[in-house]
Amino acid sequence: MREIWALATKDLRLLARDKGGLFFTFFFPILYAVFFGTIFASMSGGGGSGTKIIVVDEDRSEASASFAASLEAESQFIVTTMEDRAAAQEIVRKGGQTAFIVIPEGFGEASIFEGEPMELVLGVDPSKTAEAGLIQGLVTAKAYERLQDLFLDPDIVRTMARDSIASIDDSDLNPAQKLIFKSFLNSLDTFLVQAPEAGVFGGDDEADGEGGPAFNPVSIQSVELVGDEGPSPYAIAFPQGIIWGIMGCAAGFGISLVTERNKGTLTRLRTAPMGRSTVLLGKGLACFLTTIAVAMVLLLLLTLVFGVTPSSLPLLIVAVVSIAVCFVGIMMLLSTLGKTEAAAGGIGWAVMIVMAMFGGGMMPLAFMKGWMITLSHLSPVKWSILAMEGAIWREFGPADMLLPCGVLVAVGIVGFVLGSKMFDWNEH
Amino acid sequence: MITLDTISKRFGTLTAVDGLSLSIEPGEVFGLLGPNGAGKSTTIAMMVGLLGPDSGTVRIDGGDPAEAAVRATLGVAPQSLAIYDDMTARENLTFFGSIYGLDGPTRTRRADELLELVGLTDRARDRVKGFSGGMKRRVNLACALVHDPKVVLLDEPTAGVDPQSRHAIFEIVRELRAQGRTVVYTTHYMEEAQKLCSRVGVIDKGALLALDSVEGLIGAHGGESIVRIERDEGEERVQTAEPLAVLQRALASESTTGVRVDRPDLETVFLNLTGRSLRD
Repeated sequence: MREIWALATKDLRLLARDKGGLFFTFFFPILYAVFFGTIFASMSGGGGSGTKIIVVDEDRSEASASFAASLEAESQFIVTTMEDRAAAQEIVRKGGQTAFIVIPEGFGEASIFEGEPMELVLGVDPSKTAEAGLIQGLVTAKAYERLQDLFLDPDIVRTMARDSIASIDDSDLNPAQKLIFKSFLNSLDTFLVQAPEAGVFGGDDEADGEGGPAFNPVSIQSVELVGDEGPSPYAIAFPQGIIWGIMGCAAGFGISLVTERNKGTLTRLRTAPMGRSTVLLGKGLACFLTTIAVAMVLLLLLTLVFGVTPSSLPLLIVAVVSIAVCFVGIMMLLSTLGKTEAAAGGIGWAVMIVMAMFGGGMMPLAFMKGWMITLSHLSPVKWSILAMEGAIWREFGPADMLLPCGVLVAVGIVGFVLGSKMFDWNEH
Repeated sequence: MITLDTISKRFGTLTAVDGLSLSIEPGEVFGLLGPNGAGKSTTIAMMVGLLGPDSGTVRIDGGDPAEAAVRATLGVAPQSLAIYDDMTARENLTFFGSIYGLDGPTRTRRADELLELVGLTDRARDRVKGFSGGMKRRVNLACALVHDPKVVLLDEPTAGVDPQSRHAIFEIVRELRAQGRTVVYTTHYMEEAQKLCSRVGVIDKGALLALDSVEGLIGAHGGESIVRIERDEGEERVQTAEPLAVLQRALASESTTGVRVDRPDLETVFLNLTGRSLRD
């Protein structure tokens, strides 16, 4: 065991002195995780960021103020209010803000039964086409919320209905149309008098008793699958970052085995009084310890800087150890792929990148087609990410961890045994 | 100490070593002399257990070098520079000491002794990658000695080194001989074998052509000396087994303006044995 430890510490010392190796093992994964975590955070509106919009209230009515307030309350908007429409438009045109929304004069007076409909003016920075749809959808939703509020306030609707009845005679409608609209609006007026008494628009739950409000066509209740607020974007991005670091470890140590073979140090080690398996176990131990170190550094960063607490620390340890075992086996297999360092490095990284592509290490599996998701089962990267996510935010139990961790450990053992048997010990 | 009994090794159609037999005595500096590709390194690889012979046996002090306990008594300086460039000279020595099971204080002491022996004490803390080729050779050699082996195998230890380091390596080998260690020294430089080795085996195409002391080899295979006598009328070339007598006669003549004696050496021995030069 002392020889294995000596071999491992030698490799760790060499890694510590290899600036390029250190970068790809430790710093690149941190950059990756923080970069994508930040992107995911901005996409989901998390982390205090959102789409910057300007709201110009030209109507200055109670209704327009209420509408503007509803936009401000929307978490995906960061709202700045202005009074000058032209100035707002100029700011957006120059890229200072993403969009501007004008609530024109007459917004509060608009009737849902006659005359001009409720109008809004929206201008979006042309370079933000991806966000334009989101903004339009959210503004439309807020407008419908206002319509809903109007319908749920019988007094406002009755006022609108009566104003409309009074103005029908002066309108351009033909006699038949006037008759139909008067009949509808009178019925609506009667309905609006009787409906509140029957509890149609809801109100005090206890007073209403059974039945509840009749105007409630769809009831949607949200169920939180993980925690109260869902996983942090960084909790999603960090497992991928860790995997990139671990792949760097496996590739680095695999290549170092080829380097040692071709440089002659492996020959010298083989003349020492220890078996070939001891030499390979030493290399494997160094790879294992570095893998654990990479995972620990990134997980500490995730916890201390980004405030993500793993749902289960013991299961996270199990996941990280399983992943380390898996990638030690992969390291051993990679070392058999090329006779020269350049060949081993090139082929090794090509294999790694394919594993990452299909395993969700580059793009989340959710964006992949069905056959690609099926193929992802063959990638250790998929099981590694699943194991880490399970312990960090998917709230896996021990039984849930059995499959991913079992696959990882099995891949590691088979990879190490196969790689050890296939490894070419002769100098080239 | 070391016995090779009709060992052979083939790589595909190439016969690298062909029925080689020899015996090396304890405390002897034994030279294995031959051109590149003669089979010297393959022979060393079989001596240290890296390769098993296809036929024949190798015994080190009666044991098989395939066994770890036997290998523990061997120190090997491979032809390639088998050291870690990103580690210091001292770190290389202590690392190789640790894989031979030396404890911490012993590793430190041996590292100090060997750095002194190879003249690199003042560079002990420098990374090897900044060293010259000769300095790296010396570290390579020191790493073979860190566990105080009884038998030291040096495979082309002076390949590509400067004269200063070559001289230092010669001194180290002499020191090893003085310490009573058995040294196997492969080279294709006949002057190294002549200077350092008590006995020399001449090897070519995997076969042992001759084995004796340097003087014995020259006496048996070097042929006669050549005396070149320069006279006013031109140079006379005399091949003789008695060069002193020819020399005396030449110096007694008034027409002699100069003399030169070319004694046979190992280069001549190899030339006579194979018809080729060692450097071919």
